[in-house]
Amino acid sequence: MPRPASPARSIKPARRTSASYERQEAKAALLFILPAFALLALFIFYPMLQALWISFRHYNLISAESAFAGFGNYRKLLGDDAFLASLRHAFYFTVVVLPVQTAISLGLALLIQRKFRGVGFFRTVYFLPVAVSFAIASTIFRLIYNKDYGMLNIVLKGLGLPVLDFLSNPNISMWGIIILCIWRAMGFVMIIFLAGLNNIPDYLYEAAHVDGAGPFQRFFYVTVPLLKRTLAFVVIITTMDALKIFIPIYITTSGGPAGSTSTVVHFIYETAFKQMNMGYAAAAAFLFFLLVLAISAVQLRLFRSDVEY
Amino acid sequence: MRHMRKPIGFTLRWATLLLVAVVSLFPIYWMVMSSFRTHDEIFRYTELGRGLFLPVDWTLQNYRDIFLDPAKPFGRYLLNTLSVALVVTAAGLLVNAMAAFSFAKLRFPFKKGLLALFLSSLVIPYEVIMIPQYLLMRDLGWINSYKALIFPQIVWVFGIFMLIQFFADIPRDILDAARMDGARWPRIFGVIVLPAAVPALITLGIMTFLNQWDSFLWPLVVINEEQRQVIQVAISSFQSLRGISWGKIMAATTISSVPILAVFVLLQRYYVQGITMSGVKG
Repeated sequence: MPRPASPARSIKPARRTSASYERQEAKAALLFILPAFALLALFIFYPMLQALWISFRHYNLISAESAFAGFGNYRKLLGDDAFLASLRHAFYFTVVVLPVQTAISLGLALLIQRKFRGVGFFRTVYFLPVAVSFAIASTIFRLIYNKDYGMLNIVLKGLGLPVLDFLSNPNISMWGIIILCIWRAMGFVMIIFLAGLNNIPDYLYEAAHVDGAGPFQRFFYVTVPLLKRTLAFVVIITTMDALKIFIPIYITTSGGPAGSTSTVVHFIYETAFKQMNMGYAAAAAFLFFLLVLAISAVQLRLFRSDVEY
Repeated sequence: MRHMRKPIGFTLRWATLLLVAVVSLFPIYWMVMSSFRTHDEIFRYTELGRGLFLPVDWTLQNYRDIFLDPAKPFGRYLLNTLSVALVVTAAGLLVNAMAAFSFAKLRFPFKKGLLALFLSSLVIPYEVIMIPQYLLMRDLGWINSYKALIFPQIVWVFGIFMLIQFFADIPRDILDAARMDGARWPRIFGVIVLPAAVPALITLGIMTFLNQWDSFLWPLVVINEEQRQVIQVAISSFQSLRGISWGKIMAATTISSVPILAVFVLLQRYYVQGITMSGVKG
């Protein structure tokens, strides 16, 4: 179309500077991103691809074995009792921690949401365990759980209750880990809920109050629906983190007693860095990754399919 | 006000508040108190009583022991961890803020695709890439080197994501005006954007530093040399020895967590802000 071209020519100089402006901006933008991108490519994406590649190989650093395995590692994993048990333990842990920790944290958030004298103190205190590292928290709890001189059992004995030996009784060992993890994480989740609660406008509660809704009705018809996004976030990150539980297990029980607390990540760690069986461990990690991804996707769907408020 | 009319609810509420406070604080209290006990005192008081809750013979011997033990140089571990954490925090803030600024404010081709690529890395669990990352460190000759603790940790996509949300509030007009005045983009970034983002940078800085201070699995894998170990792994290795010396371990955990707790209490508002930003907007 030749005709519209002539008016365009008259504004060409301005256009050119703006075009060179844009080009400069794009160049600067890419340079700004470059360091992060290079690090990401080298330390995240490349290892991810390599993990996939290794998972299809028999690759052991001790026996210096390296050969193509096809789906051999994956097939072997599905029949490996230790791996399946580690998955079961991770799921058991998650299925308990998810509802209990979420409920406790929401309860705490509701408790300290209202302003009263001393609320800042309680908020800080509840939040404090978050700043204790997982390794240290696990160490402290290992001392507290000790059967003979640990605080927990001295108090239980003092009250005439039965002793709980979390460290060497395989029937309850996972509960020791669960309590320790909830202790450390509840303040963190509480803060997320608190932020969500503070986003709910007051007039909704006032309106509900005027309409004669009691505290329980207000909770279930105002708070819960409006907290859905926050709840979705909490559920998804708690699930992901819980399935990946490792540090407390490594420190308190090393997967024992009798393998009762060995979780997937513990299995991967042992396989990769104790037995140096990299191919097999990478395959386990990949299966686990796909599983976590699938679970997160389902959770996202469940939360999205509801009515949006 | 509602609770004033219901004394039972009021009492219940306060009882819960206090109970949870005790549960939250007790392990920390127990750690600090145990660090001041002599070796056999920890095993002696196994019944409810004053000796259980407070040390009877207060001692600083545990602290002296951990710092003076040449086989496990605790001061060295502290210094190792501190330097790695500071370097990662500083480099991370710069690199992540640069990327976030670009994504939030600048126009360039393939921006959406690139951002999606960045964000897609969030679903990759660390456990999957840990194995090839370890092999990469081996190939680079970085095993037992601080480089292995620093370089892979600098970029943090979650941090970039958080800063993008923060930078989005800076009006583009200001940047364009500076551009008209002849300022180049690096200068605009350094003089206008970064100062405006100080609260967000403090938030991210605290989170990065804490993550590094708490880092466990990665150093456990890539650092085998006793002298170069970081604090969290060193503490866990105290326990694998026969005849666990709990007093020393608790002195070590106390030293490596109490300063962090103190700083945390002072700066908690920034940390809370970070969680809030990622959780509610995200």
